[in-house]
Amino acid sequence: MNASQKEAWFNLVVVLSALVMVAALVPFLGKGAMGGFGLLGFLGLSPVFFRKRHGAVVVDERDTQIRLRSQFCAHLVFWLLFLLAAMTAPAVYGWNGSVPVALVMASVWCGWVVLVGVMSLATLIQYGRGGHDAA
Amino acid sequence: MPPDADVQGTIRNLIRRLRFDHGEMTQQELAVRVGVTRQTIIALEAGKYVPSLLLAFRLARAFGVSVEGVFQYHDGEPSSSAVKVQDGK
Repeated sequence: MNASQKEAWFNLVVVLSALVMVAALVPFLGKGAMGGFGLLGFLGLSPVFFRKRHGAVVVDERDTQIRLRSQFCAHLVFWLLFLLAAMTAPAVYGWNGSVPVALVMASVWCGWVVLVGVMSLATLIQYGRGGHDAA
Repeated sequence: MPPDADVQGTIRNLIRRLRFDHGEMTQQELAVRVGVTRQTIIALEAGKYVPSLLLAFRLARAFGVSVEGVFQYHDGEPSSSAVKVQDGK
């Protein structure tokens, strides 16, 4: 498993943990449960996986290509969901309705979760297709 | 668009054989020599990845052969260990 795969797994675990935390806190804290998204701060630790050791190559051209494709997938899914949410909002809140402030805040967190989650999944899928470690 | 833009071909490589011909060089040794990760060498040997021109030249130099000595382009149906490429894409 290379650095990019480790980072993808780490990010996926952090994102899923944040979602589980928020879901678990909702019954007790209501809108305050969004504080559970604070776990996403752990994503800032991911550069640790890219530390250089003894001049070994950590990231090469294939990793870069995979990262770019993953980013493209993540942004595509994000914008599709954003469009879907924007188009369905009038149906839920009415043309002259107002969107709750908490929902706007939650959508920012969810957008981040979608971006990181889809990017991590796309990364892992692409590495899975790239051949397994030989003996 | 050129008339043969939809022609599909495959790129095959002889990296595995060349490694063994060069004193059973390990994937890690080759990876260090050409500046990539071992996973990329694995993907190349499995025919799952087509390298950049720069990496192709580095690989050729590592084995002391020409690029054509490492990679070959074939028209027509792909084999399981070859990477499909499409002209113009």
